[in-house]
Amino acid sequence: MDGYTDSNWNWDFYNELVDDVEENKNIIQCISCGKCVGDCPATKVSNFNIRKIISRVLRGDKSVLKDSDIWYCYLCERCKRVCPKDNINIPLLIINLRNESFKKGYGPRYNDLRKYVEMSERFLTNGTVLEEPLDGGLPTERMEELNEICNFARINYVFKASKHKNKQKSKKKS
Amino acid sequence: MDVFDLALNLDEIERDYPENPLEYFKSKKLCLFKACLEKYFPGVRWGFHDLLEELQLNVTMCVNQSCCSGTFFQRNLITRAQFAAINERNLNEMNQIADIVFFSCNGCYNSLLRGREFLKIPDVKKKTNEILKGLKNKRIGINYPNKYEILENLNLKLVHDLDFLYLIRNDVLNSLKFDLKDLKVAIHYGCHYLNLSRDKRNIEEYIKDKTKLDELINLFGGIPIDYQERESCCGWGASQLIINPHEALKITANKLKSAQDVGADFMITPCPTCLYTLSKPEYREKMHKWFGEKLDIPTIHLNELIAILRGCEEERCITLRRKTPRLDEIFEIITKE
Repeated sequence: MDGYTDSNWNWDFYNELVDDVEENKNIIQCISCGKCVGDCPATKVSNFNIRKIISRVLRGDKSVLKDSDIWYCYLCERCKRVCPKDNINIPLLIINLRNESFKKGYGPRYNDLRKYVEMSERFLTNGTVLEEPLDGGLPTERMEELNEICNFARINYVFKASKHKNKQKSKKKS
Repeated sequence: MDVFDLALNLDEIERDYPENPLEYFKSKKLCLFKACLEKYFPGVRWGFHDLLEELQLNVTMCVNQSCCSGTFFQRNLITRAQFAAINERNLNEMNQIADIVFFSCNGCYNSLLRGREFLKIPDVKKKTNEILKGLKNKRIGINYPNKYEILENLNLKLVHDLDFLYLIRNDVLNSLKFDLKDLKVAIHYGCHYLNLSRDKRNIEEYIKDKTKLDELINLFGGIPIDYQERESCCGWGASQLIINPHEALKITANKLKSAQDVGADFMITPCPTCLYTLSKPEYREKMHKWFGEKLDIPTIHLNELIAILRGCEEERCITLRRKTPRLDEIFEIITKE
């Protein structure tokens, strides 16, 4: 129906994704019925179309990692529930594609990451995502543990980037 | 028994305690998971906490518990192993003080179950173990047995507040001072309750319609009403609302309008993240400015509603700073003697 033939299917990308996350193997069952699209909140308000994303993955189209589409998913898991096939974990596929996008040096738009700077800072200093949590922050020792776990996590780099920027701002002011 | 299965088996409790399921909890140490957004809605915590105390249950909170970190995992700022390690740390701490943990937030509940589920993958389990081993070597703070280990024989069980309240609904009903006086209620379960498979024991339970909150509203004297956008997302969408607010708030606006148009007196949800999205005054102002929609339907969390129905003081039930418009009216209607 899309004008594609068997010769358009390229399994390299699919195999890479399965190697990384075995559960991705189930996306091969996709029959392109579109039920996932019908109930998707992101589709209602943007050009996000999960059926097309899966189709691109199965055709080996790695340019899907560059596009902003994969960052529009709401991770509501509705698609997984309405899908007529067993065990196609679409939200996990999206998270995996986003991970691959980061690894290839694409990632989300810079402005999107900026929105996470404050939350990252609070998590790594208080153990919660809000300022002044209801019961106060975590004890110091517990914060040490959390920071140790996130030592090489992207959240830590987002936090460090914010500290560096704040330092530069206060230097300029003085 | 699946060592990774943390969800409390409610069917088993109903079967073993058919007359009075509350009895099962009387001998247990209970803990409330601290959801970050309870900061804006303290009634979500206190409403539930006070009810448990009135039912003479042994309830506490874990001082050492951090945020579930679900929001960072969803934005790929932490890996599956790091997410699982944060979860295991939380589970370890809660396991020291409790047998059962209650969740007032769909997202937190989903996160803890998901973190454990990731440990079924050998590669993730191995990496999680390495992270926890690193913590062990640092020797941070007071030590206790199995402190930084994946607990295979974890006795700790997790349960969502809504599922628990449904299980002991007759005891809840007996504790109420007021009823809903036939108010029409729009139910919003939230995506991570509606679409959650991780705590389900079979496929039927997973895909069937969810009705527990409808039944509770009926029981409390209200009328649950159907509306077109009942099963839609609130609009938060794993932080889409802060990243693409114009698009996300269209979803929120459609949902609220859909409920308002069918004459709902208020909307209820079992999730504080959904409540935040649906009730934040700045979001309501933006929806009015961008889409021309004046939406004033009040929204409330299940735990807050129970606190109101039990006759708690207003400050304890619902925070005064973040009330949606007209919530005062609903409070007055319900609590009128």
